[in-house]
Amino acid sequence: MTIRVAAVGDIHMGPDSEGLLRPAFETLPDCADVLLLAGDLTRHGTPQEARVVCREVRDLPVPVVAVLGNHDHHDERPEEVTAILRDAGVTVLEGEAEVVECAGGRVGIAGTKGFGGGFVGRSAGEFGEPVMKEFVRTTRRSADSLHAALKQLDEEDCAARVALTHFSPVADTLAGEPPEIHPFLGSYLLAEAIDTAGADLAVHGHAHLGTEHGMTAGGVRVRNVAQPVIRRAFNVYRLDGD
Amino acid sequence: MSDPGVQNVEYRVAHLQDRLAAEELGELGVRAEVRAGAVALTGTVPSAQCRETVLRLAREELAGLTVHADVVVAQTTRPDHAEEL
Repeated sequence: MTIRVAAVGDIHMGPDSEGLLRPAFETLPDCADVLLLAGDLTRHGTPQEARVVCREVRDLPVPVVAVLGNHDHHDERPEEVTAILRDAGVTVLEGEAEVVECAGGRVGIAGTKGFGGGFVGRSAGEFGEPVMKEFVRTTRRSADSLHAALKQLDEEDCAARVALTHFSPVADTLAGEPPEIHPFLGSYLLAEAIDTAGADLAVHGHAHLGTEHGMTAGGVRVRNVAQPVIRRAFNVYRLDGD
Repeated sequence: MSDPGVQNVEYRVAHLQDRLAAEELGELGVRAEVRAGAVALTGTVPSAQCRETVLRLAREELAGLTVHADVVVAQTTRPDHAEEL
């Protein structure tokens, strides 16, 4: 049996983009069992922008599972944004897991926003000024929560497990971004969590100039689904559920 | 202008990028780079209105400079095929 996962990130909705994605989203039942939103759903994380997102996804015939991105934190009201999205039926994950029943089997989604720090050999260390240590600890906490969520799904008899983040777990999918800013685009700690806990697919956004395809050191496929990268309303990945 | 720092193209591009990130657009990954004496803007934004805002801010910050705007609006069509994994 096949599980069909649709995903997009970085849709950056505002009042002027209302209704742009809804026509494509309404076709989802034809091609997908679940829609994943990989963060940066808004531009500034305001309740007004969150309500625009809600109108794009409310009452869709497929479940919608999301993580927030850095833009969704900008107004410093992520809890309010989360509550507004949940009221519209969106499952918003932050260090949590969700199981969706699909025709092809149960798909488990573990989600967290993630954070930066960089990649092996070129990464920030938990050292020095308090703000620097807190930067790295923020990523570590996020990665730990992703690991725990994936391990929880391992007990849930899922046909497939997907790791959903906003920041990237690998540098592969950042190709096209200036290498100097890679530490602000993701962290290997997320990939290490994915590889040690196990997953069938990792989906992220954040890197608008990156590339779609990548893989963790442990061999898990990674897909950057930032809308500017995939150049569509969403992409669909078909996973073998056996 | 008397302040040579204000006239330096590199700092003017940096100030444009600061405004693109901090003002109504939010940081949308639009790049501005000096090429052959002109400033090239590249990136993908979520709406036509956002694109107009990028161009307006560029005109304000880079007045007197040639600006090449290759900023495009994100596409919103559904995919015509799935990827088999």
